[in-house]
Amino acid sequence: MIEVEELSKIFPQKAGSDLRAVDQLSFRAEKGEIVVLLGVNGAGKTTTLRMLSTVLQPSSGTARVEGFDIARESQQVRSRLGFLSGDTGLYARLTAREVITYFARLYDVQKKTIPERIKQLSELLDMSDFLDKKIDLLSTGMKQKVSIARSIIHDPPVMIFDEPTAGLDILTARNIVNFIHRCRDDGKCVLFSTHIMREAERIADRIVMIHQGRLLAEGTWDEFKQISDLHDLDDIFINFVNQTRVGEA
Amino acid sequence: MNWKKVITIYRKELLDLFRDRRTVLTSIIVPIVLYPLIMIGFSSIMIRQESKLDEQSVDIYFEDKARTESSFRIYEALQENDRIKLLIGEDFQDEMIGESLVHAGVIIRDSLTASGYEVILIQVSYNKAKEKSELAYSRLRKIFRDLEKDLVRERLASIRIDEDILSVVDVKENNVAPPEEMLGFFVGKILPYLLIIVTLSGGAVVASDLVAGEKERGTLETILVSAASRLELVLGKYMTIITISFISVLLNLFSMYFSFRHIMFQSGVETTGMQLPISNFALILVAMIPLVTFLSAILLSLSTYARNIKEAQSYQMPILFTGMILAMISMMPGFELTTGFALIPIVNFSLLFKNIMMNNFQMTPFLLVIGSTLVLDLIAIKIAIDLFNKEGVLFRTAEEKSLKFWGKEKGNIFSPQFIMIFFLVVLMALFYLGGSWQSQDIVQGLFKTQIFIILLPTLLILRISRTDIVSTLRLKRTSPLNILMVLIMAFPALLVAVSISNIINLIYPISESYLEVMKNLMSTENRSFLFTLGLVAVLPGICEEVMFRGYLINGFTRRGLWSAIIVSGILFGIFHLDPFRFLPTAVLGVYLGYLTLRSNSLLPAVFAHFLNNGLAIVITNYGNDLPLFSKIFPNEEIPIWYGVPALLILIILLKIFDRINQRVPELPNLV
Repeated sequence: MIEVEELSKIFPQKAGSDLRAVDQLSFRAEKGEIVVLLGVNGAGKTTTLRMLSTVLQPSSGTARVEGFDIARESQQVRSRLGFLSGDTGLYARLTAREVITYFARLYDVQKKTIPERIKQLSELLDMSDFLDKKIDLLSTGMKQKVSIARSIIHDPPVMIFDEPTAGLDILTARNIVNFIHRCRDDGKCVLFSTHIMREAERIADRIVMIHQGRLLAEGTWDEFKQISDLHDLDDIFINFVNQTRVGEA
Repeated sequence: MNWKKVITIYRKELLDLFRDRRTVLTSIIVPIVLYPLIMIGFSSIMIRQESKLDEQSVDIYFEDKARTESSFRIYEALQENDRIKLLIGEDFQDEMIGESLVHAGVIIRDSLTASGYEVILIQVSYNKAKEKSELAYSRLRKIFRDLEKDLVRERLASIRIDEDILSVVDVKENNVAPPEEMLGFFVGKILPYLLIIVTLSGGAVVASDLVAGEKERGTLETILVSAASRLELVLGKYMTIITISFISVLLNLFSMYFSFRHIMFQSGVETTGMQLPISNFALILVAMIPLVTFLSAILLSLSTYARNIKEAQSYQMPILFTGMILAMISMMPGFELTTGFALIPIVNFSLLFKNIMMNNFQMTPFLLVIGSTLVLDLIAIKIAIDLFNKEGVLFRTAEEKSLKFWGKEKGNIFSPQFIMIFFLVVLMALFYLGGSWQSQDIVQGLFKTQIFIILLPTLLILRISRTDIVSTLRLKRTSPLNILMVLIMAFPALLVAVSISNIINLIYPISESYLEVMKNLMSTENRSFLFTLGLVAVLPGICEEVMFRGYLINGFTRRGLWSAIIVSGILFGIFHLDPFRFLPTAVLGVYLGYLTLRSNSLLPAVFAHFLNNGLAIVITNYGNDLPLFSKIFPNEEIPIWYGVPALLILIILLKIFDRINQRVPELPNLV
């Protein structure tokens, strides 16, 4: 479970003016639910996810992952979190097995159970053919599978995906989407960020729209349709953006 | 912190690195294959070359103007030598050697008679700059010496005197240095240098890959999100750099040891019974621990700060160069490991290793070197860990917006970037132009430096950018009280600066010749007092103040009064291009900067600068004649402890200065 409360992140600029990348953002994501964080590039999605994964410190506000505070209990938060982005971030000179083992050990997975766990994941993701090949020699799709395995090796209750399908071909992207659904079915809490409306439409249980660091709207796809009386998510999103502009004026 | 995770990270990094061909090449293949090949190859070529040179015959022009019996014997002796080809003629010219027609010329100019015996005058012409000509000369000298011995013996025999009476002093050489020490001398000079270079370069390749490389490949975020803590990551990576550096050092020591033995053997030196002192190597390895950990922490910090490998490598360059230059000290004659040198990083190790290799190990400097390095070591580790916890450093792409701003600001002549570039350009001009002007003529050089390098460029920049010069330079009237305060503060301020210099001179004894030059400059023996005052006090007081407190200081006011004062003070210290004068001049710069910003006028600083330099002239020249001075400073030397009360007085006076300027309302501009 993820609880975000009035979370803000300010990047001080040299000119003196501050950049409010995330501004008083609040939302929740429950167990067994896929929440999509939807917004255009630069809306503050990545910054939010980086704060949730404790890589960045919030300027103000709090968030809890499985009840642990991201600022004060970062270690506990990280060990309950699986993080996957479009950037595979794997060590090219190691083999797939070595990479997964490395992360397993960093996540305190018991040494004895690691080989068994790798075997399970390898069957699940169909990667036994290239488990002992160096990452350098793998295709993008294979690398993405290794990344998935790496992110879930410790069986975390919360999964965070930061634009994981960016730059992937349709087959590889499909792998990820399937994997996300499986995570939900296993009862995990899933937070997924994207700027592609279609993708949000297809996999989200609930959508959190953000714009310029602020919460724009929150709800299910059907709720949005009812409120705005529109059918296309693109239109709905633009509608919300325009509404806030009017509000500001 | 969990050590198991540190070890996991450490083992993964090593595995990763050893799968990288670059690491294997630089830290293993180069030392164990390349160095021996180069060293052995080089030495065998040298030996061959030397013996080849020895066997070569030389061409010698021979001209005999005396034509006596003795001169004929000289001719015979030369003719007999099978490595000399004689060319006999009657018209020798020096150009023959220059044009390489012959290697040397022997002209028997005359034969005189002194005390009834013949003296032969020989002129040998050769070119000392030419290897073979020099060889010809040394061969000729040996022949003449042998011949002279024979002739003397014959003469003595003719008057029945034993030639033994000629030997008065019989010198026998007895070199008590055991072979190990002789070896240690060689090793002591070259080995320390190589060891330091190897440590730095071995660690550098690995370090740039460890953090900057992870940023570049996009793996850093993955690892930061994992359950490992930042501290565990830093330590794992830190241990990796240390390990690789140590492997480099060990392999290099090993290969150098064997290469060296091989060279000794090749060059015919008796190697049986000659052993490189293993215990010394062990001692060096122990001493390497703080050095390696210190350098590794620096390299790790640079790698953490850099955005990618290329950037990391360019940050490493200045460190590598500085290290190389500092390490060279072991090869220079005359440097001993004094207390002062024991405190300078790298220099201290270079000298310490030299001492160890020459069996000159002493405990006190050893502990001083290790202790001072450990302190630096802890600071460096702390910096590395802090950097790793700074999100601005780890995600420097997040700052892209501010970077654009950086570029935009380049046109602004008060941006810190522009000012730093201006400062560096002036510094270079000072070094290259000013240096050569002053070495030609110190008076003219100083004058030209102040006007053309310091004052005019500053005014030019302000003029070109259409800045209001008067208000920028704070050319404003100031309260007479301020001028009075500056006058009162001048003496304690000078005392503080002099005390700092004296402390530094105590640790690093200053060279007499340098002191002489400084005194000469201040002296009024060759020039009138007023002229000296103008050159050494008035001119710098105006020109340097315009540049530093007038212009440069404005670039750093954005982060507050004190950062501007301190940064401009440091620049002022650097500007004097002398590491030993850095501290006193920087402190003076801070003082002058404070006066300027607090009074919001340049005049107090100009006056204070003038007084500081002017007082120095007065004390140098008339210190003994003035009754007051000679009482306070009985032995010309200003005692160091005077600095303490002087500093206290100065601080109190500055507080008063502070108060005066809080009350004085803003004065209108001079113009």
